[in-house]
Amino acid sequence: MDVSGIIASNAAKYQAITVEKETPLEVDAGLLLVTDLNSIDEESYSANLEDHLQALARDGVQSLITSLFALPTQRSEDGPLAQLPVPTTALPRSKPLPKPKPPTKWEKFAAAKGIQHKKRDKREWDEERQEWVNRWGRDGKNKQVEEQWITEVPANADILLRHSDVDFDPRKVARDERKARVAKNEKQRLANAARAQGPREARKQEIDQTLATTRISTASMGKFDKKLEGEKKARGVKRKFEPTERPLEDEKNASLALISRMDSDAKKTRREPPTEENVLNVRKAVRFASKGRGGVALGRSAAGARGGRGGRGRGKR
Amino acid sequence: MLRSIKPKNARAKRALDARLPKEVEDPRTAVFVRGTHTGQVLNDVMRDLMALKRPHVISFSKKNDIHPFDAASTSTASLEFWANKNDASMFVIGQTTKKRPNGLTFVRMFDNRVLDMLEVGVESFVSMADIKTAKSTPGHKPLMHFASDLFDTHPRFAQLKSMLIALFNGEVIESICLAGLEYVISSTSAPTPPASSPLAQKSRASSSPPMGPSLDMRLRRHTPPDPELLKLAMKTPKLKKADIEKGLGKKRKNIETDEMGDLRGPDSRRQAGLGQAADAQDEGAQGRGWCSRRAGGAGGWGEPDEPSQKKRRRQST
Repeated sequence: MDVSGIIASNAAKYQAITVEKETPLEVDAGLLLVTDLNSIDEESYSANLEDHLQALARDGVQSLITSLFALPTQRSEDGPLAQLPVPTTALPRSKPLPKPKPPTKWEKFAAAKGIQHKKRDKREWDEERQEWVNRWGRDGKNKQVEEQWITEVPANADILLRHSDVDFDPRKVARDERKARVAKNEKQRLANAARAQGPREARKQEIDQTLATTRISTASMGKFDKKLEGEKKARGVKRKFEPTERPLEDEKNASLALISRMDSDAKKTRREPPTEENVLNVRKAVRFASKGRGGVALGRSAAGARGGRGGRGRGKR
Repeated sequence: MLRSIKPKNARAKRALDARLPKEVEDPRTAVFVRGTHTGQVLNDVMRDLMALKRPHVISFSKKNDIHPFDAASTSTASLEFWANKNDASMFVIGQTTKKRPNGLTFVRMFDNRVLDMLEVGVESFVSMADIKTAKSTPGHKPLMHFASDLFDTHPRFAQLKSMLIALFNGEVIESICLAGLEYVISSTSAPTPPASSPLAQKSRASSSPPMGPSLDMRLRRHTPPDPELLKLAMKTPKLKKADIEKGLGKKRKNIETDEMGDLRGPDSRRQAGLGQAADAQDEGAQGRGWCSRRAGGAGGWGEPDEPSQKKRRRQST
């Protein structure tokens, strides 16, 4: 049977899938873009504009479609997904590149020590309930102790309470521990944010704070002070008038509170003078000797330097 | 200048974070602005362009006293304000005057500042509604076709090309559903030499019947991008190590895609003399020293060679 006639008639129905042009078409599959850099044929343009445009578009799109269908594909519900290459045509961005985040203190430390970051799931497996539960947040695992209906009281509960007159409340203890962790994390976050701002911004804030303090340090809370131009009014500053006659107990309590505050390490109102036997501030000395890199680094560099020198000595001999 | 907003809840924070610069950018949001006077033609042009650009489009339907090429006016400040307020990085401004009838100005922004502008005059226009054919699905990505050597040689044609790509197809995507390719935006130039009268003929052909709109445009005023700003805008992100290993950023050697959409390359296991182990793993891979990896169901999806593929059109069911 001769099928050449059928093949020929079938072929005549369709146009060629390969596009031959003087300048080959530039296809940028990443942007679904094709550029035909052949100059426009004036004759066909003026003869029939619509046909001319259709023919041009057909050729361009054919070569683009051919290259798109030649791309590696991936199966999906809606049909094959062509994996596009990176675009070759450079286009201006609409926003600048994102700035890298300054590393936190922990990230710096982890990088120096070579600690790999482990991503922790937000959910955790609960053996008793046999289901996944939130690590924190709503019904979080970190609130398990304070929310369970019965809690064991440890044998040393009275010691833990330091002879206070209230009963030992394990829920409150668990809650206080959790709240302390949250507060510590927040403090570290703020410190990281301040460090990320840089020393200049930190100094600015410090100056602002000092200025605010000095402005309310006169008896009239700075009411009669000279104002600079553009100086903002301090908000939330109120003169509180104490009664002229106060109970003796109040005054005593106020003084004791002040003294205990000066003593406490948290506020550091007044620093302890160095004691006689401890003249050398070891921390400061290490910091100075290691140029701020810490004792471990100092030890390592000392060991490394000794080894290196020994090696060289042997080589010369 | 907008005041800096501090988010008060998680939803506001997410919305603000979505506006931050990203490494791989989203499609540009375009704002279509009506000038002090837009005629029926421009209104129709802008309506049709918006229909193609949807959903990344914002329409300013009221008149605005805006003259982007007038340095004495506050138009640049207005554009920058709108860009910031709407998180838009592209503007299409319609304005018709006696001197410049049916002017359409494309404005591209970078970092909420005006990068470059290009004005075209619409000389003739056939709207989508006038051509009674099926239309493309909103939100589907177009193919882009440019046909003329001017798009490479003439700086303003090149700018127009870049502008149109940025408007319709600028975002980088990893993959595309081949069944979702529905329409083509085709732009050609008239054969006349550019010195006398540059005329960009832009027509849209979706398939064998053109879907419209079709516009004849003449290039008018333009502002080139500020070199400093352009340099910032053309910065590309550093490729990640994993991406380089995958073969992005440089040519992948010895790997090719066959006509079935499969990746073909040398099999390191066979080369290392582990032929049996490799054979046991992928039975059916033909050829010695070459491994064929099926990437997806390209085989069951019609003949990619057929020219009628280009004329695919989603039937409305």
